[in-house]
Amino acid sequence: MESFSFLEHFQIWLKAYLILSLFSFMYKDNKFYKLSEHVFAGLSAGYYVGLIWQTVIIQQLVNPMFDKGEWWLIFPGLLGLLMFARMIPKWSWISRTSLAFYMGSTAGIYLIQTLHGFILPQVLSTMVSLDPSNGFAATLLALIIVIGVISTLIYFYFSKEHTGFMGVTARVGIWFIMISFGAHFGYTVMGRISLLIGRVQFLVYDWGESIRQIF
Amino acid sequence: MRTTIPIIVAFLAGTLLIVSFFFHPETIWIGDAKEVILQWMTIVGGFALVLGVVSIVRVNARAVQRKSEGWFYKLMTVISVFAMAIPAMMPVTKESVGGSIFYSIFPDSWMGYLGTGSNSFYDWLFNYVDAPMMETMFAMLAFYIASAAYRAFRARNAEATLLLFTATLVMLWRVPMGEAFLRLFSDNLPGYINTYVMGGFNVAVQRGIIIGAALGAASMSLRIILGIERTYMGK
Amino acid sequence: MDIWEKLNTIDRRWIYLLMFLSILFPTIFVMKFPIELTPEAEQLYNAVEELPDSSVVMLTFDYYASALAETEPMSIAALRHMWRKDMKIITLSNIPLGGPTIAERVTREIAKEFDKVYGVDFVNLGYKANYVAVMHGLASSIESIFPTDYTGTPLSELPLMEHVKSYDDMKFIYCVADNATVDYWISIVNAQYDIPVGSGVTAVMAPKMYSFLEAGQLTGLLGGMKGAAEYEKMVGALGTATIGMDAQSMAHLLIIFLVIVGNVGFFMNRRKAKDAKE
Repeated sequence: MESFSFLEHFQIWLKAYLILSLFSFMYKDNKFYKLSEHVFAGLSAGYYVGLIWQTVIIQQLVNPMFDKGEWWLIFPGLLGLLMFARMIPKWSWISRTSLAFYMGSTAGIYLIQTLHGFILPQVLSTMVSLDPSNGFAATLLALIIVIGVISTLIYFYFSKEHTGFMGVTARVGIWFIMISFGAHFGYTVMGRISLLIGRVQFLVYDWGESIRQIF
Repeated sequence: MRTTIPIIVAFLAGTLLIVSFFFHPETIWIGDAKEVILQWMTIVGGFALVLGVVSIVRVNARAVQRKSEGWFYKLMTVISVFAMAIPAMMPVTKESVGGSIFYSIFPDSWMGYLGTGSNSFYDWLFNYVDAPMMETMFAMLAFYIASAAYRAFRARNAEATLLLFTATLVMLWRVPMGEAFLRLFSDNLPGYINTYVMGGFNVAVQRGIIIGAALGAASMSLRIILGIERTYMGK
Repeated sequence: MDIWEKLNTIDRRWIYLLMFLSILFPTIFVMKFPIELTPEAEQLYNAVEELPDSSVVMLTFDYYASALAETEPMSIAALRHMWRKDMKIITLSNIPLGGPTIAERVTREIAKEFDKVYGVDFVNLGYKANYVAVMHGLASSIESIFPTDYTGTPLSELPLMEHVKSYDDMKFIYCVADNATVDYWISIVNAQYDIPVGSGVTAVMAPKMYSFLEAGQLTGLLGGMKGAAEYEKMVGALGTATIGMDAQSMAHLLIIFLVIVGNVGFFMNRRKAKDAKE
């Protein structure tokens, strides 16, 4: 491996310190952890401001208005600024129009997107052939999907009491749900461990190499 | 008036986007109107995000002012917000009006370090301070999940047993050593887990949840467009 | 106090230590256990492989830094695969915390390996707020939503963007995500604009994605670090995901062991309590 420059060493040691200061919480709460935690919260909030300033306010609003003469962008700009009226209780009602525009237009997109992009294709692909001539494996899989979707929907349907046929189907639903949640749990364990592996890889490979080069 | 205008705005914006779905964007004026609304949405959305940050700064600054418990840490939060945001907000070219004034005062050599691009101070702070901490915060969940596995995951009844059994199968299947172990029983076992557990039972339940949640989201969207749902406006 | 009672009251920090060690040792002593491929990962690889060389594709960096260990190897492997086929890549991020910066860093790093030039072979559009509006907006005009690239260069000054005006000019969307944005790439962009979407997601999200995969709404899937390792194997470029698989194996085995010990202890103590009552 190439030898690190002074800046690279500094960056690696800084990252290592931050990682270890946060990990120290696993032993017990302490000042190093608290400091890192609060700096982290601040930097993350500051990131939003910098990003929005450059990519939205400058690139999408100010530059087109002044360079290209797209004066009508003053309207979304004003709508955006009106949002800040929420900070003053007496004037907070002024922000309603901006919020209404945001909520209304998002709702318009969501309505079509959920019906056309989620419900129709998902229902359509549940309408599968249960014909045994498709072969045992295909029929079994189709049966699992059809029974599972219906029983899950019934389990989450609370407008009617779960008794009789509804009760039995909801009971089947909970068994399906337990299997799916088990799979989800297995995947979640995997995901969390992967993140820790990433940190350990940094400490062993990068920080370890830096230590080796320095000492 | 304070409620009627917002309801009309929500109705018009929402309805236009729904109607536009049924028309080809290039053949009717509605396509242009849709494009304008979408552009406006991204701009207004940006302000909404900043509003959240302003609230964070206000709450923390107040705590510092009052010297309430942990005020020093809260001060560090506020300083960090500005340390990240201010260099990023500075102009990155001389071509704009603000940029020409700024670089007549400060040296041109600062240009590369300001803004949000590669090699900027913002970029550096994110890559070497913020990102490692964010990664670590979430990595710590692995410890908690290990502790929970030992203390809380109990096969108390048939349903919990089924959950644990499936979780164990999936945990084995998703790693090379576990997969090799499963193959000791049958060479097809990993394939069966993928096909029947993930592609069968799991798909069925996820689909049920997706359909249920989508129906809920669609009805909520309709309530917002029709002005029945107004809680987002506040008091 | 017998052994089961002692185990029941063990300090949780010992478990934390065990978890740390189970990852530390395989990271130091890598064994490189063979990685088996799943059909969904192969489907994604084949979808990219079957695209004509030099096609324009979109690669999204829809993830926060918190999930880098899982998602970054996917992005790196995807970039290597695409540039091996000399594809033109447009990147963007729908994440306001980290995504655009990560896209900038990762693409420029891998571009050096393939001598790719910014603006000609790849463009980073960056971020704009409200991703549902962004996804819709790109269908009619990229420039109306992204007048400039991430660093502020007007799109008209970037040669690649001369020929790329909307989704119509792209062949595939390769979405790497750690959150629900992938749902919208599927339900808006794939459903309404008919462009194939393939995805690499974190393990936590993967189970949900199987439903879209089965419905044909998703063209291939990588689930978590294992998915990334599979893609690295297919691309033939060893990366951090492949190296991490040994540690992943050991940690999974430890979790299973902890579940078993915890449950045996639970039943032993319950039986003891029952006997004492009688």
